[in-house]
Amino acid sequence: MAPPRLLALAVPLFPLAARLRAEPELRDEALAVTEGNGSAARVVAATRQARAAGVKPGMTLPQARALVPRLLARGRDPHAEHAAEEALLDAAGRFSPRVEDAGDGLAFLDLAGLAPRSASDLLAFERDLALDLLRAAEKDGLPARAGIASSKRAARIAASLPRSPVVVPPGEEARFLAPLPVERLAPELGLAVALSRWGVRTAGDLARLPAAEVGTRLGDPGRRLHEAARGLDPEPFVPRLPALAFTEGASLDWPVVALEPFLAFAAAALERLVRRLAAEALGCARLELSLHLEPEGCDVRSIDLPGPTRDTKTLLSLLRQSLDARPAGAPVTGFVLSAHPDRPRRGQLTLFGPPEISPDELAGTLARLLALLGEGRAGSPRPADGHVPGRFALVPYAPPPAPLLTPPLRPARGLLAVRALRPAVELEVLTHADTPVSLNALPASPTPVRGRVRVAAGPWSLEDGWWSEAPAARDYWDVELEGGGLYRVFRDRPTGKWYADGVYD
Amino acid sequence: MSALPAALPASVASRLLRAADLPRRGASLKPGDRLPTGVAPFDALLGGGLPRGALVELSGRSGGRFALVLAALAAATSRGEAAALLDLGDHLDPAAAEEAGCDLARLLWARPLRFRDALLAAETVAAAGFRLVVLDAGLALPSSRLRDAGPWLRLARAAAPRGVAFLLSTPVPLAGLAAEALVGVSARALFQQAGAARFLAGAATSLSLLKVRGGRPAEAPLLALSPLAAPLARRLLPDLRPPAASASSPAALTPPRRAVACA
Repeated sequence: MAPPRLLALAVPLFPLAARLRAEPELRDEALAVTEGNGSAARVVAATRQARAAGVKPGMTLPQARALVPRLLARGRDPHAEHAAEEALLDAAGRFSPRVEDAGDGLAFLDLAGLAPRSASDLLAFERDLALDLLRAAEKDGLPARAGIASSKRAARIAASLPRSPVVVPPGEEARFLAPLPVERLAPELGLAVALSRWGVRTAGDLARLPAAEVGTRLGDPGRRLHEAARGLDPEPFVPRLPALAFTEGASLDWPVVALEPFLAFAAAALERLVRRLAAEALGCARLELSLHLEPEGCDVRSIDLPGPTRDTKTLLSLLRQSLDARPAGAPVTGFVLSAHPDRPRRGQLTLFGPPEISPDELAGTLARLLALLGEGRAGSPRPADGHVPGRFALVPYAPPPAPLLTPPLRPARGLLAVRALRPAVELEVLTHADTPVSLNALPASPTPVRGRVRVAAGPWSLEDGWWSEAPAARDYWDVELEGGGLYRVFRDRPTGKWYADGVYD
Repeated sequence: MSALPAALPASVASRLLRAADLPRRGASLKPGDRLPTGVAPFDALLGGGLPRGALVELSGRSGGRFALVLAALAAATSRGEAAALLDLGDHLDPAAAEEAGCDLARLLWARPLRFRDALLAAETVAAAGFRLVVLDAGLALPSSRLRDAGPWLRLARAAAPRGVAFLLSTPVPLAGLAAEALVGVSARALFQQAGAARFLAGAATSLSLLKVRGGRPAEAPLLALSPLAAPLARRLLPDLRPPAASASSPAALTPPRRAVACA
């Protein structure tokens, strides 16, 4: 059986890379990412400009600022790091179906079965693959390094070397590790001290020692380290399950109260989210926004989309609409956007039938309409049950496939249409012998219905829903006014009030 | 290849083209392709139906507009085309639309609250490729700012590349230069006496082509519309047949002889 081939994809200075991915405008600044509070905050990672001035991981922030007075400091951002980790895994998932999430900007890919059978030079193929993967990660805002070997540990060490990618030929892990300092094997502190005392400097020095003697003197940790030095790695590959949602987010350095600054942060996160969805040929079917509020609070909201879409502008409009309708109510200190993905629907074109709208385009259009008009203002109409005219239901617009052949045109039915008046216009009505002779809409009405009646036809009774909480018992009239206008009016029997609920047109 | 048309059903074979025919067909489709509404007088006025890729304005304050809107929607959706109605006054009764022949599953109904939203929504659906887009401005008189041709020219331009038939229905003419044709509509109610009862028998609708690009104004024969689309009348007067029921096309109809406009 051929040895496994594993690719380690590592992002150096991961907390810094995640921060710069969320705030790319800081790339050219002297910036340090810190952990801890106040003067106890310690530098975890710093940009090249800061490192050139002597800032190193482990320094306190005051020490770093003594070296670079204009040093920018940002705390570690768990939301940004989580999103960056996911983006890294997404990039890896585009190259191999089996990916392991090792955390902190490290992912492993199982390369089994990826090399073509005819690949004469496996190493060249693996190197090209690694270069493509690095380019994909770079596109997602993550400068990464790659190493390929037959064990996880060797691959990880290969990925930590500066000239990337490093490909270790199968079975040559021990030879690859031999010249490297033993510290690359990440020994525990006690072991490192003992090995230093013994004069063991490189992994090769350690590998040449008798395994049994090392085990006797250094115990189980020493035995495992000896195995690692010989290129053996018993640690299994644990593939992750595919993500159910794509998330992006950020912790804000200062609480945001106004909507516009927040939307600026959200727009950048949405763009990253949409880029990741596009890479997987997915669309966002539901967008969830989780807001972290000051001092301690959370506001979670969900926006269902009519169809999977990747239109950033539309998603941002929907966010704005949701926040406009229901403000967070407290300063926002962080946020997470989750996109629940779905495959865009595919349409089948016909040769002889009417042209069909591309499902992807239709989904985008419906989402834009939702953002423009608001919830419940666009869809496919359906008549509602019951006899009361004008009632309706609105269902999501999902037209059936176009017919294969365009049906022949049928003559129109020549029907006089009724415009429903919603809500019905309340009227002041003068009657003579129970027949309306004059109508006058109450002042608050938006539709002017006013005048003497020229012709009135009726009444026709309607009873509906007598078993329900809102029964309808009405006497209907068709009324033409002297000044023009043909209205459908009714008298509500329980209250005796008059309304116009339609105009013949 | 020459045997292929013979092997196909006649309805399919007649639609097959040779590659040499395609450029000519493409060129002839652009100006000539129309969406017939099935309302013969209306289609005749427009030279065969609503032109694809252009804006037609339907204007009138005394009735008949909405019936033509529903007829156009019914014609498009019943032929399997996607249609959108931007209903500014929120006037659509789905039961009546279904009665008029609309395939509601293919109809996108948008209910904007403001004229500005309606214009933006119209542009959005036109760009998506809906084959028929209807903007119904409702009953209220639009503000004078909308008489400016700018937004309408923009809409007409949005309709052109995708071959969208755009129908604008307003109480007063708005689109000006942007409209390919302007059709005026007016209607007169017809009541009928049946014993002691009086009922609405329909409306006599007159259509006139007030303006058309490259053509002359014209009048259409009177069009009679029956009220039985109204669910209420349909349910309450099950035995009453509309005047259209006996005719093959509404164009052939004349108002009933006994129709009276009673006071």
